[in-house]
Parts: sequence; structure tokens; C-alpha cells
Amino acid sequence: MTGPSPDLPPGTAGLALQPRPVPGPVPPWAFPAGTAGRVPAGPATLRVDLPGRSLAAVRLVLHSGAGREPAGLDGVATLTAHALLEGTEPGGGTALTAAFERLGASLYASADLTALRIALDVPVTRLGPALELFSSVVRRPALDDADVRRLVRERLEEIAQEDADPGSRAMRELRAVMFPAEARASRPTGGTRGSIGALQGSDIRDFYASVVPAEATAVVAGDLAGTDADTALTAALEGWAGGGGPLPTADRIMPESAARIVVVDRPGSVQTYLALGHGVPDRSHHDWPSLVVASHVLGGGLTSRLNAVLREEKGYTYGVRAGLLRMRHCGLFIAQGAVHTEVTADAVADALTGLRSVIARGIDAEEHGSSVRALADRAPAEYETARAVAAELADASASGLGADYPSNYLAAVRASTPDGVARTYGKHIDPEALTIIAVGDAAQIREPLEKLGYAPVTVTSKEE
Amino acid sequence: MAEQPLHEHTLGNGLRVVVREDHVVPLAAVNIWYGVGSRHERAGRTGLAHLFEHLMFQGSANVAEGEHAALLESAGAAFNASTSFERTNYYETVPISHLELALWLEADRMGTLPAALTQANLDNQRDVVKNERRQRYDNQPYGTAFERLCALTFPEGHPYAHTPIGSMEDLDATTLEDCADFFGTWYAPGNAVLSVVGDVDAEKTIAAIERYFGGIPAGPRKPPPRPGDLGPLTGVRGETLDEDVPSPAYFAMFTLPADGGDDIEAAELAVEILGGGSGSRLYDRMVRRDQIATEVWAGVTRLATGQSLAIVDAIGPEPDKIAAVLDEELARFAADGPDPDETARATAQAERGFLEQTETVTGLANALSQNATQFDDPARVFTAPGRAAAVTADAIKEMAGRWLAPGGRTALTYGGTPS
Repeated sequence: MTGPSPDLPPGTAGLALQPRPVPGPVPPWAFPAGTAGRVPAGPATLRVDLPGRSLAAVRLVLHSGAGREPAGLDGVATLTAHALLEGTEPGGGTALTAAFERLGASLYASADLTALRIALDVPVTRLGPALELFSSVVRRPALDDADVRRLVRERLEEIAQEDADPGSRAMRELRAVMFPAEARASRPTGGTRGSIGALQGSDIRDFYASVVPAEATAVVAGDLAGTDADTALTAALEGWAGGGGPLPTADRIMPESAARIVVVDRPGSVQTYLALGHGVPDRSHHDWPSLVVASHVLGGGLTSRLNAVLREEKGYTYGVRAGLLRMRHCGLFIAQGAVHTEVTADAVADALTGLRSVIARGIDAEEHGSSVRALADRAPAEYETARAVAAELADASASGLGADYPSNYLAAVRASTPDGVARTYGKHIDPEALTIIAVGDAAQIREPLEKLGYAPVTVTSKEE
Repeated sequence: MAEQPLHEHTLGNGLRVVVREDHVVPLAAVNIWYGVGSRHERAGRTGLAHLFEHLMFQGSANVAEGEHAALLESAGAAFNASTSFERTNYYETVPISHLELALWLEADRMGTLPAALTQANLDNQRDVVKNERRQRYDNQPYGTAFERLCALTFPEGHPYAHTPIGSMEDLDATTLEDCADFFGTWYAPGNAVLSVVGDVDAEKTIAAIERYFGGIPAGPRKPPPRPGDLGPLTGVRGETLDEDVPSPAYFAMFTLPADGGDDIEAAELAVEILGGGSGSRLYDRMVRRDQIATEVWAGVTRLATGQSLAIVDAIGPEPDKIAAVLDEELARFAADGPDPDETARATAQAERGFLEQTETVTGLANALSQNATQFDDPARVFTAPGRAAAVTADAIKEMAGRWLAPGGRTALTYGGTPS
């Protein structure tokens, strides 16, 4: 043990501390590679062996997202996902859930604009029997009228809960304002009160029958040594056929970026939830990785430009974040967070200053390096579980990007430059054409937001 | 893969160390539990443990303001902290190359935090925490339910009667001196456990910990904790709330045995069978069959130095009906106990929960710190599936009868038809 070093600050006498260590290089790591295959006349498959991961993950991605719902049936994809979990027998009650529980497994299903996703998590020792159950759900779901009627009521309740949550209400409004009304993305993925209330069991069954198994992808990941995952997956999905009519093609209508402020009135709110959005290209565009880096510089962590001011300097918020929302045909740059009601306009002004700063003064080498390392060097932790690896690869497939996308993306993040990132940001994001959503108490925040002079302010009610 | 042994060590200043090698990914998870949480706060200073947690990120003698986060972010680290009733937890998962930097950062704030305490930092983080309170609780529908139920369940002044977020008034009243005292009382090496899990060499890691933490003085012994026990609830103590929520709802709280013995294992399985997920009794009855609720959920918060807690949340138009059916199901469960399939399912789910909790280096390091802090036995983490599997149907029935009896709980009613 060494004695106290002479340059220790006052108040630390009696301590024997070491000098700050200098870390060596971060060890190399590669995104796990999978082995591609195909179920005869069925889904593409990807097997990813991850030694040491005793919880296996199966992700089945169907090209039947909300973006392909027939006209007038908004939410049918989401309700189909919910109904799949009800089992294979009409009125089967808890039988299916109980069967998965007995294996220590769980089954989830969800829909977004891009895909309908079915997820199975199970200890790898019971992967075989869990895949047999999974198979019965995929091939022969009951999608029963009585279950659908109940699920419609539950979905209506979920919509009410989502609209009462400031963050999810802001996201709904952002899409409604940024996308033209004829774009599916302008309307809630999980449907509206009106569209959900009208759904029938037959709508769900028709939608699911339209799934084309050969367009689907199934990913299985985990410590698969000692299992015959390929055979089990093939057995689970071989011979599965859709048989319904084709679904409409998803529209590719782009978001419209323009300066505007929309207040969603939430009387009595002690905070305002802010979302500032702008359209960007989709993930297949070569600028995407640089846009991710720029977003991280702005709102990726505690030291990002927005948090340094809004949280650490001014205490306006518990935290803000900036990032890119992935959609099939485009992306959205969104900076968001909740701020104290009384500082709403000041917080918007500071956020705008931050979003302009990348163009005004560029990005310096240090903050660029920090963001690149934060994004790329955290990947081993981010993809430590089979669930995370399987979900990322399944998502790449759903978006038509290929299994090597996660590796290529990480390489592109590392290859980016400070000037390139700043230039790319300026090319795609115009800080004078942001859509700003403010979910909060209109009586208190409308006038201060108008005084900013950024854009006209309109007010809408929470329920609309 | 062969199970790796645990390496335990205690420094001369009292810091307990647990290291486990795990060579699957080139990461190291560093996790410190300090044995202090909101249960140790004094009257008038609720929220101090959590506010102090924020101050631990504002620098120390050799770390400038903002530098802690900057160093970790630029290392690709996942890092954070959390404050609960009984402990405060700091953690970072770093590339293995940055292990010593992470240890150094933790040692500097354990040894020298007061050197960087300033009024400006306190005022700033107080504002941040008040916004955290608004965001997570005050501005969320049903957001204050847990806090209200704790206040209903425990007598005023009881260590568990308030939750870690604290009150706005107490946050406003907190002074720099309170913070320095709090650090001096609770942030001693002897009141902490440091766990490291990852692609490390155990011996070298323990040597590095000796190097970085060994020079920190032991500090005072911590004060003895106030008793936290209460026993099963009798009667229904309730509150009806007139808040702007999307739908009427009924939230209930039950006390359970403290963590650490056989009883909590059985009691947690009982709660799981009653309300854990869509295969549970309450979900089947209320959501599927009677359709008096659109959502029902039950879960357990294990506490080691007081009663553990169970919560049942249900959303539905007539909370009175929900309360009545809850009593019916509790009575049936207490009388009949679980069937063999329910017990088997709950046990299998407990095993899965264990795998989820421990499959990442971050999760395992946290579990080791927890078991070392609360039970002086880090290896206890690995017995979780066995403890669950050893529970008998009779034990579940007995626990249900004692702790989950009809008519013994606290409850919140949101909206709905008045009784």
C-alpha cells in the first residue's frame, strides 16, 4: 500500500488512493454469426449458437405488420397477435399458457407497422417440447369469436391507458402530425377506439390466413450444442400453409417535416412531455449509422449536449434522449423527455439550441469518439443474451436488411468521422422544420410556447 | 460449461468482495451494494438516500463534475444506480480493459465524495430528482399507488411507511450538511459489498480491489437498524381516490414473511399462483371468465429486514366487484391450497426467473451483492431454483391462509361506483 500522494485535494487526508489507471484497448468482439437455412416451402431460418446461454430464444417474424392491414381494419395485426396467445382450442382458457409455464417457457406476440412477431423464450433443455407447442399455435390458432370479443374490450382499455401516459400520447400525436392522413403510419399501430370496436373474429382469422410462411423468418439462438435445433425448428414449421388472399402492400408515404408546435392538452399536468421530430431515411440508407451517432451526441447519455444543459445544468428534467425510430420505409429522428411545466418553453428553447448546435459548430473529435465508443463498445453487453441477439437478427430480416446488417452497422459507426456525422445531420435534419409535440397543461404552456416564435401553436385534446 | 467457483475476500477496512469468473463475453460487471436505503432515513428527510445516490455521480476528490459519466459512456459501459428500501446499488458493466478504471471510480467516490459536495450540485440534483418524482409518479395515472399503499399498510414513522422517492417537502428541506452526515454514517467500506463478474482473473481482481479500496479508512460502525416487522394485516384499510385516471381500478397490498427463510419461498409461489400472469387464478377468474377486469396483476417485493410485500392490481369498471371476487378467490385458495399442476408451473417459472436474473454478468453481479449484503452468503443466489422446488403444496396453503387471507389487506379504489 502506498502513502497518500502529495497532490490530493484538501479533505482527503488519511486516505491512500491510487492514481487513475489508464485503460488498454477494448478487446475485439464480433456480432454473433448465424447459420442460414430454410424450411422446405416455408420460412427462412437462422440458427445462432451462443455457448453459455442457457435460455434459448425463438423469434418468428411474419410480413404481416400493421402496415399491411386491409382498409378499415386498423389494429387487426395487433389483435391477431393477442389472439394467437389464446391457444388452439376455442374457449381453451388458460390451457396454452399453462402448457408453456410447465416448461418454464413463455410466449409473446406483438405487431408493429413492419411485422407481426412471435417470441418464445425457454430454457434450452426444454427447447424441443416448447417448439412443439409453438408449432401448434402457429399452425392451428383458434382465433375464436368469444376470445376476440374479450380481447377487443381489453384492447380498448389499453388504448385508454396508452393515451393517459404522456410519453405514448406524444408519440401517437407526433406520427399523426408528421405523416399525411393517407399514410398508415399516421394512425396508431394498435388501432383506434373506432377501428378496434368494429373488429370481428372473422377479420382476425382472415388476416392470419393471409400470412405467407415462405416470406417469414425464424431465428433460434442459445446454447444449442447438444440440441438438434434445426430439425426441431423445421418440424415445427414444415407444411404450415396460409391459404388466404394476399394482404395489401404497405404504403411508403414519407413523413413531412415542417416547423409546428402541437399542444396536447392534459389539464393539471405537473410536467410537459416534449417530443421534437424530423423525418430521416430508413436503415438501408448509408447515412443511417452517422445519424445514429449524431443523435447520440445530442441525447445519448448523461453527458450528451441536451442532457448537459437540460438536466445537469438546469435541472429541468429527469432526463431527455434523442434517437432514431426505425420504420420499414423511413426513420424518425426524435428528441424527447418530460420537463417541469413551468419551464416548458425555456426547455424547448434550449433543446432547439442544442439541435441547431450540430450545424452551427459541428461535432468535435472528443465527443464524436465518445459517442462512437458508447454505441459500438457497448454491443457485447447489449447482445449478451440469446433474446437480444435473436430479436436484432429477426428485426434485420423483417426490414429486409440481411443477417450481416448488425455487423455492418457497427463497422459503419466506427468508420464515421466528426465532420461526416455533422454534415450528414445537416443534410437530413433541418432544425427549423421540427414538429414539436407538447403533452401538458395547455392553459399554462400555450402562451409561453407561442412567445418562442418558432412556429404557430395549435391545441388538441387528449382524447382526440 | 463447468460452474465457476465464487471467490470471497474481506478487506482490512471491512469491504466485502465477491468475484466470479465468467469467460463468455469480454466484459466485467462491477456492482456495489451499500446497506442503506429509505428505511434508514429519519423523519423529515425522506428521499435523502435516493437524492444522495444522484450526488454520487457529481464527482469526488479526483473526479470532476460530469467526469464519472463521461469516462463510462466513452468506454461503452452500461452504468446506473438504484435506491430501494434497504439498499443503494451502483453498477457498471465495462469492457474488460476498463475494469480497473471502474474500480478506481468506485473507490474514489467511496473514499472522497464529500470533497465534491457543493450547494450548486445539491440544488441541481434536487431539481432533477423532483422531476424524476413528477415523471415516474405524480404525472402518471395510478403513479402514486405504491407510495399510498405503503403509507396505509405501515404506521406513521415506520421504516417502510414511505418509499425511496421521498416527499417534495423533505427534498426541499435537505441541506448539504444532511448529505455529508448521511455519507459519513452509511457509506463506509464495512457497510458495502463489491461484486465483480466477468472475463477476469479472480486473484488479480482481488489484488486490484485491495489496491484501489484498501486505503479507504474503515469509518464508523453503522447504527443498528430500527425493527421493520409488522405481521399479517387484519381488516381492510382502504382509501378511495378521486384522481383523473383512464379507468376505475382496485389496488391491494398484503404483507408477507421477510426474505431469508422457507416461508417467503412458499408465500411468493402462492402470490404467483394467485396472480402471476395470464395463467393465474385471478386472471382466469376476473379477466377471462367473469370479465369484471381487463387487466389483473400480482407481484412480490422481497424485503429482508421487514415484511415482504405483495401487490394485486386490477383494472375494471366496478372495483367493489373486484374486491369481492378477490376475497372469494383468497378464501378458496386458503381452504384448498394449490393443485399439483399449479405448484409445478410456479416452480418452473421460478427456475426461469432465476436463469433470467443470472444469465448476464450484470444480473449475476447484482444477485451476488444482494445475497452477500442481506444474508452474508453470496452463493445463496444459486440455490433459488432448489428453494422454490422444495416448497410443498401444504406450505403454500399455509402461507396463503396466514398472509393472504380474505379481508386482511390495504386497498386503493380509483373511481367506479361508490359502495
